[in-house]
Amino acid sequence: MTTYATIEDIENCMDNGWTDGLPVIPPYGSLVDVMLDAMGWQAHDIVGEIASQNIVVRAEKAAATAVMAGCKPEYGALLRALTEGLLDPLLNLSGAEVTTGGAAILVIVSGPVVEQHGFEHGPNALGANCRANATVGRFAQMMRYFCGRGGGVLQSHGTVGHPGRLSFCIAEHPQTEWGPYHTQYGLPAEASAVSLMSTEGPNSVNNHYGDTGAQILDTIGDCLCHYGQTAWYYRSGGFVVVIPPDHMALVAKDFNRDQAREYIFENARRQTDLLAEVGRIANPPIAFAEVEPGALRSPLKNREQLTFIECGGTGGRFSAVIPRWVGSTNAVCKQIV
Amino acid sequence: MAQTSQKGPGNTGNNPPAKQLTSCGDVSCELLVDPIPRPTPDPIKVTLKPRMARVTFVDHHKPNSKVIMGYAQSILRERGIEVRDEIVIKEDASTRMPEAMLQSLSGEGGLVLCGISD
Repeated sequence: MTTYATIEDIENCMDNGWTDGLPVIPPYGSLVDVMLDAMGWQAHDIVGEIASQNIVVRAEKAAATAVMAGCKPEYGALLRALTEGLLDPLLNLSGAEVTTGGAAILVIVSGPVVEQHGFEHGPNALGANCRANATVGRFAQMMRYFCGRGGGVLQSHGTVGHPGRLSFCIAEHPQTEWGPYHTQYGLPAEASAVSLMSTEGPNSVNNHYGDTGAQILDTIGDCLCHYGQTAWYYRSGGFVVVIPPDHMALVAKDFNRDQAREYIFENARRQTDLLAEVGRIANPPIAFAEVEPGALRSPLKNREQLTFIECGGTGGRFSAVIPRWVGSTNAVCKQIV
Repeated sequence: MAQTSQKGPGNTGNNPPAKQLTSCGDVSCELLVDPIPRPTPDPIKVTLKPRMARVTFVDHHKPNSKVIMGYAQSILRERGIEVRDEIVIKEDASTRMPEAMLQSLSGEGGLVLCGISD
């Protein structure tokens, strides 16, 4: 039974800075112990480091954060893989926290675990009002917030940020046209996995009258290429393309995943000189930006920066493009075991 | 009822204090686990007072950073402050400074300025 003492504990947590801005489940030691057990760790196990800040993250911090986010202990194996991914140096967790880019950590859940824990993968897949999506996504953002600021000595500098900084977890349809999302990172199709990357907010892509796969991919490609895309400077991040069933029905008739990736890579381009005219190319250009005056410029440096996830509801012809933060070159994909 | 080990101001924003929270019900108290990892003492000794009046700039390739630094160089020179001509380049703003560069800059006798925003 919730008591007034519990409410007071929640307020104390918030007064103490133990919050992402929303009320939290107080991390009572007894609850944290259960979560630790579910994650398969002892309290003082070292689960990661942020070397640049002399921070060692022990398991009890992750377990406490999971409790606070409202995660169920049943998510333990998933949360363990997620924690390992969040603290993988390749993800650059602290960079995502403090950047002017206002990035969030996108969590993509794929494989049998989606149905096992009841993740929403249909309607409103990018903002599902479902406990699994909401709390797992919140856990990732709270880890970013708690672990990425040097114990509180650093400040977040996101210029505008986006709502995903509270929670951003997408689950893939259990049955897909092109195979599970994690196969794009080399994991076996039958596995369950969490894939992580730091991203900006999603851009909606609407096309209700196109009736070919190419038309849908052209529309998606155009979204990759608007003047405001952060990618034009460095091209070091990439994009996640979200394709719901109605668009997928058209695209999959004409393309497999590799063909779609190739099509977008080759066709989604913008004239470099026009980008320079509006100030989207440094003057003089930065060497590693590989600027070729006069050429058509892709917002991608390579094809592998483009991945596809199949999720979302039926009855509307929408897709979405999620730009990855340019300061985090790597996505991290962890198998759930 | 929860108790804190010390009284302090309300919302601590970006600098949450490392405090022990305890929840006390009618018959027992329970510790709350602090979710925030704290840094261990910094092993690098930083000289806060420059040995010489010279400024070195480090550009980490954020948009406009080199322009801003060049402008700052000229202002400092106008004011009679010695400024190292070369702007040291850190290739990627999003990642930690390479160890060799850190060691090199730690040998600077003057002031090192780095890490500007966009």
